[in-house]
Amino acid sequence: MTTQTIPLTRSLGRSNFLSGLRALGAVMKREWVIFLRYPSWFISLFIWPIIFPLSYVMTARALSGRDGIGMAQFQAATGVQDYTGYIAIGTIIWMWQNVVLWNIGFSLRNEQLRGTLESNWLSPTWRFAYLLGSSAPQLLSMLMFLTVSAIEFVLVFGVQFQGSLWLTLLALLAAIPSVYGLGFAFASLVITAKEANAFVFLVRGLVMIFCGITYPISILPDWMRPIANWLPQTYIIHAIRSASLSTDGLSAIAGDLKILALFGIFWLTFGYLVFNWMERRVRRTGAIGQY
Amino acid sequence: MKSNFVLFQPTLATQFQALSAIVRKDWKQYWRYPLNAVSTVLQPVIWLAPVYFMGKAFSINGQALGFAQYSGTSDYMSFLILGAVLGNFVNAVFWGMGYALKNDMDAGVMESNWLTPVPRLLILVGRSLTNLFVTTVTSFGMLIVCRFVFGFHPTGDVLSAVLAVIPMLIGLYGFGFAFAGLVLIMREANTMVDMSAFLVQVFSGADFPVTILPKWLLPIALILPLTYGLDAARGLLLKTNTLLSIGTEVILLIVFMFIMLWLGSWIFYRVERRVRMLGTLGQH
Repeated sequence: MTTQTIPLTRSLGRSNFLSGLRALGAVMKREWVIFLRYPSWFISLFIWPIIFPLSYVMTARALSGRDGIGMAQFQAATGVQDYTGYIAIGTIIWMWQNVVLWNIGFSLRNEQLRGTLESNWLSPTWRFAYLLGSSAPQLLSMLMFLTVSAIEFVLVFGVQFQGSLWLTLLALLAAIPSVYGLGFAFASLVITAKEANAFVFLVRGLVMIFCGITYPISILPDWMRPIANWLPQTYIIHAIRSASLSTDGLSAIAGDLKILALFGIFWLTFGYLVFNWMERRVRRTGAIGQY
Repeated sequence: MKSNFVLFQPTLATQFQALSAIVRKDWKQYWRYPLNAVSTVLQPVIWLAPVYFMGKAFSINGQALGFAQYSGTSDYMSFLILGAVLGNFVNAVFWGMGYALKNDMDAGVMESNWLTPVPRLLILVGRSLTNLFVTTVTSFGMLIVCRFVFGFHPTGDVLSAVLAVIPMLIGLYGFGFAFAGLVLIMREANTMVDMSAFLVQVFSGADFPVTILPKWLLPIALILPLTYGLDAARGLLLKTNTLLSIGTEVILLIVFMFIMLWLGSWIFYRVERRVRMLGTLGQH
């Protein structure tokens, strides 16, 4: 009788740091393939940066009046000279947060709807990789989206970016942890709460009302301003507007960057903790496969 | 032996049964997630908030005088609220038809539904009816909320305005049919529905008088039947300046209604035949 040695191969069944990374890579690859599979993203990449701000820009133009009577009032009330650039940046940040909520927020929910979440959960992988892996291709596509938006704002709306590119990139970098941390927390809650649409509408609605996407928050009534101060998007919008449209330099956004760093730490930690809590909860209640 | 009514003997009664089955299923599914109903009322109000505050910054002593120069009314919020209500119906038809098909594809029931001897257009109409009914109810809710939050107060003839927009709503179904065909062949709905519904609303002047559009964009607004529906409804309810006389706009809406229904169903059947030949109906 001969004994046969079966070569041991590293597999996902033996959970370690490298297998976690491999799982993360596999999820990223899968998400990227799905992303490329539906070419409509290419159309939205070019169309949305024009049509979404267009609606607000045209409304602002109508409010200005034929003789500019409303425009003079707007400039006097807000100190803003170029409302087109002002609105374009506000709306694009809103769109960024909105897309993150839909894509990252729905990443686990979509698995649940397809009926694959439960089986994925049974595999001995690092479960946070499912969420993190969905975020990486999304972040890449959003950076493409923001770049295309900036080019189109110049070409279509005639926006003049007089500020610094590097400071704008710095403000964007500071914004990423808050935007995606909120997405992680959101994705985790949606798994248990199920009604994802309603939650997206609520969160993006808060950003839309309180963060001044089309107007300075000084216009808001007194009772609304403290709420705006507790939302990171208020600072993101302010920082990117200051960095890209004005020549005031780092000092104009230094305060925003500090607050965004704190918000970023809070939201990433909160997102991770909520995910872990949800993960334990759905396993205990058996709700992971339900929809 | 007495034969029972079955779906493979297509009669008017069986088709009605199929239609009511689709509506009942969607109704049940809709109320399974009750928070969505609340958000349907509040969502358009949230969308209006940035414009409300922006309008305040452009107003002099609470009057949007600049806006009145284009539209004929300084009550910009009532103008926008009516646009939002009709926008709700555009969304109901686009999401009700296009997205419903995508949901069926994802759930894996599309092919089996298609094998039933129910007219395909009837399936599409059925999928939008629940949405349409819910939209009507929630739009009333939204108007009530807007009355208190934004001071919505129409001063004109409500009944005439409702009658004027009915041909527009029926014509929208034509849009929906063509759009559902597009979803069948592209097998992607979210981006397309979102973008198409938004584009239609922007260019039909849901958020501003179309006369402020640049000259090269204005023709897009003028070929959309919704532009005239919105314009007529606002003219009747708010006494705004209209593009044409209201009578002419209603006649145009009726003509558009027939054209859109015919064109939409023609496109849908062409695409649907192609998808069946390709055998991609069950894919997503």
